[in-house]
Amino acid sequence: MDSAATSFSSSTPSPVDYIVLLILRPIAAISFVFVFIALGWLLAWKLVLVHVPLVQEIFGLRKKPAKFKPQTRRISRYYNSINTRNSSAPGSGYPPVLVQCCHSSSIAIIKPNYSRVAISHLWSSLEPPSNRIRLLCSTFSQAMAPPAQSSRNPSPSQPSGKGEVSDLRSQLRQLAGSRAPGVDDAKRELFKKVISYMTIGIDVSSLFGEMVMCSVTPDIVLKKMCYLYVGNYAKVNPDLALLTINFLQRDCKDQDPMIRGLALRSLSSLRVANLVEYLVGPLGSGLKDNNAYVRTVAVMGALKLYHISASTCLDADFPAVLKHLMLNDSESQVVANCLSALQEIWNSESSTSEEAAREKEGLISKPFIYYLLNRLREFNEWGQCLVLELVAKYVPSDTNENFDIMNLLEDRLQHANGAVVLATIKVFLQLTLSMADVHQEVYERIKAPLLTLVSSGSPEQSYAVLSHLHLLVMRAPYLFTSDYKHFYCQYNEPSYVKKLKLEMLTAVANESNTYEIVTELCEYAANVYVAIARESIRAVGKIALQQYDVNAIVDRLLQFLEMEKDYVTAEALVLVKDLLRKYPQWSHDCIAVVGNISSKNVQEPKAKAALIWMLGEYAQDMDDAPYILESLAENWEDDAPEVRLHLLTAIMKCFFRRPPETQKALGIALAAGLSDFHQDVHDRALFYYRLLQYDVSSAERVVNPPKQAVSVFADTQSNEIKDRIFDEFNSLSIVYQKPSYMFTDKDHRGPFEFSDEIDNLTVGVESEHVVAATSVDANETSDLLLSTSEKEETRAMVANGSDYTAPFYDSSTPALPSQGQSELAITGLLGTADPGPQASTAIDDLLMGLDLTAPPAPASAPPPLKLNARAALDAGSFQRTWRELPVAISQECELGSQGAAALTSPQALLHHMQGNSIQCIASGGQSPNFKFFFFAQKAYEPSVFLVECKINTSTTKAQLNIKAEDQSTSHEFLALFQSALSRFGLS
Amino acid sequence: MPVAASAIYFLNLRGDVLINRLYRDDVGGNMVDAFRMHIMQTKELGTCPVRQIGGCSFFYMRISNVYIVIVVSSNANVACAFKFVVEAVALFKSYFGGAFDEDAIRNNFVLIYELLDEIMDFGYPQNLSPEILKLYITQEGVRSPFSSKKPVPNATLQVTGAVGWRREGLAYKKNEVFLDIVESVNLLMSSKGSVLRCDVTGKILMKCFLSGMPDLKLGLNDKIGLEKESQLKNRPTKRYHGKTIELDDVTFHQCVNLTRFNSEKTVSFVPPDGEFELMKYRITEGVNLPFRVLPTIKELGRTRMEVNVKVKSVFGAKMFALGVVIKIPVPKQTAKTSFQVTSGRAKYNASIDCLVWKIRKFPGQTEPTLSAEIELISTIAEKKSWTRPPIQMEFQVPMFTASGLRVRFLKVWEKSGYNTVEWVRYITKAGSYEVRC
Repeated sequence: MDSAATSFSSSTPSPVDYIVLLILRPIAAISFVFVFIALGWLLAWKLVLVHVPLVQEIFGLRKKPAKFKPQTRRISRYYNSINTRNSSAPGSGYPPVLVQCCHSSSIAIIKPNYSRVAISHLWSSLEPPSNRIRLLCSTFSQAMAPPAQSSRNPSPSQPSGKGEVSDLRSQLRQLAGSRAPGVDDAKRELFKKVISYMTIGIDVSSLFGEMVMCSVTPDIVLKKMCYLYVGNYAKVNPDLALLTINFLQRDCKDQDPMIRGLALRSLSSLRVANLVEYLVGPLGSGLKDNNAYVRTVAVMGALKLYHISASTCLDADFPAVLKHLMLNDSESQVVANCLSALQEIWNSESSTSEEAAREKEGLISKPFIYYLLNRLREFNEWGQCLVLELVAKYVPSDTNENFDIMNLLEDRLQHANGAVVLATIKVFLQLTLSMADVHQEVYERIKAPLLTLVSSGSPEQSYAVLSHLHLLVMRAPYLFTSDYKHFYCQYNEPSYVKKLKLEMLTAVANESNTYEIVTELCEYAANVYVAIARESIRAVGKIALQQYDVNAIVDRLLQFLEMEKDYVTAEALVLVKDLLRKYPQWSHDCIAVVGNISSKNVQEPKAKAALIWMLGEYAQDMDDAPYILESLAENWEDDAPEVRLHLLTAIMKCFFRRPPETQKALGIALAAGLSDFHQDVHDRALFYYRLLQYDVSSAERVVNPPKQAVSVFADTQSNEIKDRIFDEFNSLSIVYQKPSYMFTDKDHRGPFEFSDEIDNLTVGVESEHVVAATSVDANETSDLLLSTSEKEETRAMVANGSDYTAPFYDSSTPALPSQGQSELAITGLLGTADPGPQASTAIDDLLMGLDLTAPPAPASAPPPLKLNARAALDAGSFQRTWRELPVAISQECELGSQGAAALTSPQALLHHMQGNSIQCIASGGQSPNFKFFFFAQKAYEPSVFLVECKINTSTTKAQLNIKAEDQSTSHEFLALFQSALSRFGLS
Repeated sequence: MPVAASAIYFLNLRGDVLINRLYRDDVGGNMVDAFRMHIMQTKELGTCPVRQIGGCSFFYMRISNVYIVIVVSSNANVACAFKFVVEAVALFKSYFGGAFDEDAIRNNFVLIYELLDEIMDFGYPQNLSPEILKLYITQEGVRSPFSSKKPVPNATLQVTGAVGWRREGLAYKKNEVFLDIVESVNLLMSSKGSVLRCDVTGKILMKCFLSGMPDLKLGLNDKIGLEKESQLKNRPTKRYHGKTIELDDVTFHQCVNLTRFNSEKTVSFVPPDGEFELMKYRITEGVNLPFRVLPTIKELGRTRMEVNVKVKSVFGAKMFALGVVIKIPVPKQTAKTSFQVTSGRAKYNASIDCLVWKIRKFPGQTEPTLSAEIELISTIAEKKSWTRPPIQMEFQVPMFTASGLRVRFLKVWEKSGYNTVEWVRYITKAGSYEVRC
């Protein structure tokens, strides 16, 4: 029935039904689907898409970082209006201070000029912390303006990280005022980021304000990070640093001693000179604090204050307070800090103030030293080092006192800290200096602890101890002869340790242990590290020179020669040479081996020179000596000047022994020598040449006299210096092996002072060159390759040499090379000194042409300024003289375009000026700006000239500042210098 | 002045700054650059740990993959500076729980800054003892007592206190003391089997879990101590039977009362809590070498070599050595190796040019051997004589001391008179154990 009814109704559909069926239903269905889709999108948008960065970007949803509100004009106008009125704001005792301070709504307006006072006043009046934060914000908006400006145009050198910094800034801002529960952790993360940027060198100083804002927190870690940041950037942002003062001052009064100490330390580390006034108060109360931790910090704070502003520290009478603390405080750390602070303060004051000098003396007075010694055990290890260092300066009145102190301190030798042990050893050594036998006993006593320290700890630590042991061994080698096994090197030890050990092995060798030591050293000669292998061969040689029984050693050395390794052969050659000078009786054995060495295999100048020396000296024993020498002379240019000098001498010697065979070699050598560019080689060739001209037999007497065996080789370091180093036991001097004034004193520090001015400088290298050059010279004169008579001749020669090498340039012959001139000069000299007829022998043809062009000497003119070609001045004394002398002449001169073009590197000019007897001590700079420091010395007087020369190659100008010890000749020197400078680039 | 460090830097191997802390203004800010330019980028690195650049001296030390650089501008105390670095590293390690390397520093740099502030003030070293510092610098960073309102720990009392190494009021349920005697043997033996140089450096490590303020006394079988003891007691009856040994030199932890040691030759002390190194000593006479190595190396022509190494253990048959590694050097141009070993395992390691022979458990009174044949690449260049590096050995022998040192007693006194349990262990390790071949 039902079905019939439905069929009926469906069979007769009405038009309305049609409409519903055909139009409405589809519409409904479609709209339903659309609504469904839209809902889906909405959901997706809300849940997912808004968080997708790209989508945010497209739809502009990204939040812009909150812009800093600029200083509004409205307020400043308001400000100015207040300024004209005389304020009677509550509590403002400072007349023009413009503070309008609403305690409830907390609007703070401060005029920039008075900001400091105003802020501190405001600060104390604002009670709820939130108000304080707002105060800070408003203060920043003022103070931040200039830095914000500057951060917009970062300097090109600033590393990237700009974006991160501004990100950090906005995040810090958000957190600044918030008091949400998790905010401290978030802040911590941010602070960590800031500090890590700071560490890697990104400049985050622009965040200063935000950082300080965020530091209103009870969290101690946050505080520490903030203080670290503030301490780092306070110096560059002194105005902003002021803002932190209030936090810090308040924290200095905190009930927790940790926070008090922390705040005080940070306050004193701000290092801003105009904030010291805020430091004095907290420091004063810190020094009186009843907690030791705060006192230790305060003591150091006083020292920091002294370094920022000495006068403030002294005015507040802190030294006296420190002294009182030092004598009475119950805590050892406080005492130790007082001691170090007072030592520093009085040390620097003692030069100006008599009282300080007296106080400084008082530190090493008997009662005080005894006071410290009695409390020594309370100190921690570092404090003990400090005290012991002081005790070492104390001079006891009698020997009993000496022994008392030593007995008291003996247990310190057992201390685990190497520094304490070394400090104790210093005390012992200093106390017993005058008692020879006890001094020796002290050596015996300290040996064991030192050896323990050497064998324990890291290589660096053992190096530090080993240097000290090295010093002691050098002073008293005989006491360590039985301990030589401790100085054997281990395979894996770093080379700096090995080097010291080798030196010590050399020093302790004596009759009883030579064999073992030399055997051991020979093992090292096969070492992988070439430097160590060389060092050990040298050590063998040194031992050989020390000992009388050298049989075994000579054999070993000769074995080295046969090892066929270049460096081994080279070192061994030098040694054999020295050995022969001391023990001529071994010549036969040695020469047999040396004769087999081909000179082609020897490349190093020193070794080659040694080989050549032997060839010359033992020419009669080696059949082919003249021919080897001849082939060497033919390759004249290949060798270093040092080798050429030796070659000349060797050929001369050989010539006197075997004239016919050597004649050819001599001819080649003399010709090459005379045209040599190296001054010394040239001079020596000329000297030999003249000598031969004069008389062959006297030439032989000069060049090849009977030799005496050398008994003792010269020591390189004077005893005085050694004693000085010894007095500075337990310091860097020992490691550097030179007294401290050579490396710490500003006067002696040498040209590094200039380093601030010159970028990219080569100063150190240059000055080393100078020093090296002078020392080479010294070696050469003292080098016993020349016999004594020969040496004297050379010296006379040098004296003459200074005469003719003076670059007196006559304007008429500027094109002549200087060398030709000097030859002329010497011809003239010899002519006057020796008017014999030999002056024109056949060989003289070499110079014939030049004789004619000799300029007439200006006899009537005043003696021209002549300079010493071998002037030597070390960096330290240059520095001192430079400081002492006034500027004699300051002038600008033209360099000339060729000169400017030739000046591509500082070295070019150096060589040029050196040719004119003007030495360079320091140079630096890069094109187009160069800077040089030159010096020159008068030929016959020690008087020196110092020149500062700044050259700009683009303008071809040179700015000269000349200082002279002898003012009267400074103009002559200027002329000389200018002429030398103007010729630069011409040749 | 002892140190007065102007700055301290931590750099990684590339020269990036991990930590920088300036203490004084007397050095410029670009000291790191100077260090990088003059030391790290030149061959100077490693040639000397103390260098002068400009007016400043640099002390540097490499610890795992980090350089620690101290810059000073005055004539500083070198030993003190290096000791400070070593102590500081030990402190950091105790905070990080072991490793000290670049990653550890990066992860903990805030903590390091905090510590650097505490351990050095204006360049002068302050308190470096981990026990005390841990009281008030914690890894989490204590909330200030502001917020927590808890009573302030009396840490600051001890920060500067005289017994700086121990805190009062410790209490343990079980009172235990662990003593470890660790000796390392350094040996240099010639190829002919004669001892060139031999010494033992030993240390006594202690781990204390004791309540209150106990006073400890340690007795060893060293000669001087024993003699003194019999003198003091004035009766030679109770003699110590067995070997007595002569200590060349002893150094003690700062807790040991050195005055008492000097007068009575007894080691008495109030120990710090936890682990510490009580004493170090050195012995050169009468060392029992645990191993003898007998190498024979024959060069058969230009391309072949024969290596025979026999290692003999000379300690008691009931003992075992653990982790024995013998490194036998071979020339660089080694092409092929073949070997036979009677125990353990051997292989050729080309990166260090060594045959590495490992024996995990090495019983006493045995002598395993290794025989190897080595083929070399024949080089056309003239024969380069091979500088034979020494054979190196690593080992650990538990319950054996090369010096023969024994602990005779360890007495503990405390007011409350509790009982303690003492544990003593001995171990001998190889220091640099080298035999030339």
